[in-house]
Amino acid sequence: MVMILGVDPVLVLGGTVAVALFGMLAGLVFMGIERKFAARMQARIGPPIRQPFRDVAKLLSKDSIVPENAIPCLFNMAPVLALASSIVILLYIPLGGFLPVLAGYGDLILVMYLLTVPALALVAGGFASGSPYATVGSQREMVTMMSYELPLAIAVIAIAWRLAAAGIADPFSLATIAGTASGITIWSVVGPLGIIGCVLLLIVLTWVTPAELSRVPCDTPEAETELCGGLLVEYSGRNLALFYLAQGVKTVAMAALAVALFLPWNISWFVALSPNAALAADFAFFLLKILAVIFFSVSVIRVGMARFRITHVVSIYWGYLGGLGLLGLVFMVLDAYIGGGGVL
Amino acid sequence: MLDTYTLQTGTGFWDPVVWIVVFLVAFLIALAIWLLGEKDYRRGTQQVKPFLSGNVEPEKADVHMRAGNLYWGFTEAMKGYYSRLVPLHTGVLNDYVLWFLGVMALVFVIVGVAA
Repeated sequence: MVMILGVDPVLVLGGTVAVALFGMLAGLVFMGIERKFAARMQARIGPPIRQPFRDVAKLLSKDSIVPENAIPCLFNMAPVLALASSIVILLYIPLGGFLPVLAGYGDLILVMYLLTVPALALVAGGFASGSPYATVGSQREMVTMMSYELPLAIAVIAIAWRLAAAGIADPFSLATIAGTASGITIWSVVGPLGIIGCVLLLIVLTWVTPAELSRVPCDTPEAETELCGGLLVEYSGRNLALFYLAQGVKTVAMAALAVALFLPWNISWFVALSPNAALAADFAFFLLKILAVIFFSVSVIRVGMARFRITHVVSIYWGYLGGLGLLGLVFMVLDAYIGGGGVL
Repeated sequence: MLDTYTLQTGTGFWDPVVWIVVFLVAFLIALAIWLLGEKDYRRGTQQVKPFLSGNVEPEKADVHMRAGNLYWGFTEAMKGYYSRLVPLHTGVLNDYVLWFLGVMALVFVIVGVAA
């Protein structure tokens, strides 16, 4: 096996292409299913599940307008950066029974920071549009990012800290957290107090997801009814198609992260299967878990809520969800020291 | 799988070289899709005017977002915090040094108690 800089290039490059294709296809399929969920909850028939594929195909065939006020290179580069950075996030996250393509080359903290890159690309694109609507949208996107970072960081660190307190090596590795190789997960480490903490942190992450994905009630940066699409108002054609694809990939990445942190179980842990059948069963189960996460954290919330004002986003995410996350963290600490959970 | 090119902090780790390589690959994939799309549009027509819901475009200076407004929303929601914090920034170096020493003393006390 040829190694370059300690890396198997075939595995890394082949894995990147495979995960990119999976992320884009799965993202569009899940977006189609999610639209169907939302439509049925609103007593509508909704578009067919293949509609996102048609949307992307149509956008790629439409004029890709660069407004006269825009900075063309930055305006055109932002959607490409958004899609590329969304794909890279998926490379660090386990997919069912498969280890991450870049297992051992980046941890959970890196994933947390990489999650901000597609949003920053959106912000850059919005500012580069030269439109007042897009400028306000970009400004709101930055404020939204600042708002959900605190609860997200608390949820992530609480899980890794609890695993570290239980004496598990590499607690920030997503392969470790998902128990892909060992079968040991956060749920097998915590006691009753830790379970309460985990449930609180799961609720926090469920609410961070729509903010991370700019979906209702946290779609203030786009806000069609007041900003006409906000930071995407000037985007059309292939540029909008790439942002659309990036949204799909990021949806899969966020759901896969939630699965790795809180729903890591695999079918093969409970049923004896041949290795190939186990991989297939685990992957199918993984897709079902992704769908469940998208249903609860995107569809149910967006159908049941109206859009938050930008000041509400800050106070809710820093105040209520930050507080709830800290409470979950306190339960995890109590579980480690007095609650009967596993401690080194 | 950790190797000599992976930066390790003791608990966390990442390999920036691998990240750059895979980012370039992902960038090429995204660029290939972008190049598949239609690249033309009608330059110099109404198509390239900014969309403002039919309103007249204001002067650039009137809609320019100043740095002080960049985080509006955050500062507005947290004004209870900022209204107390901003007056503490007097601009006098002696005050900042005093705060620094006070906070450092507090940290030492907390660390000492915890130890």
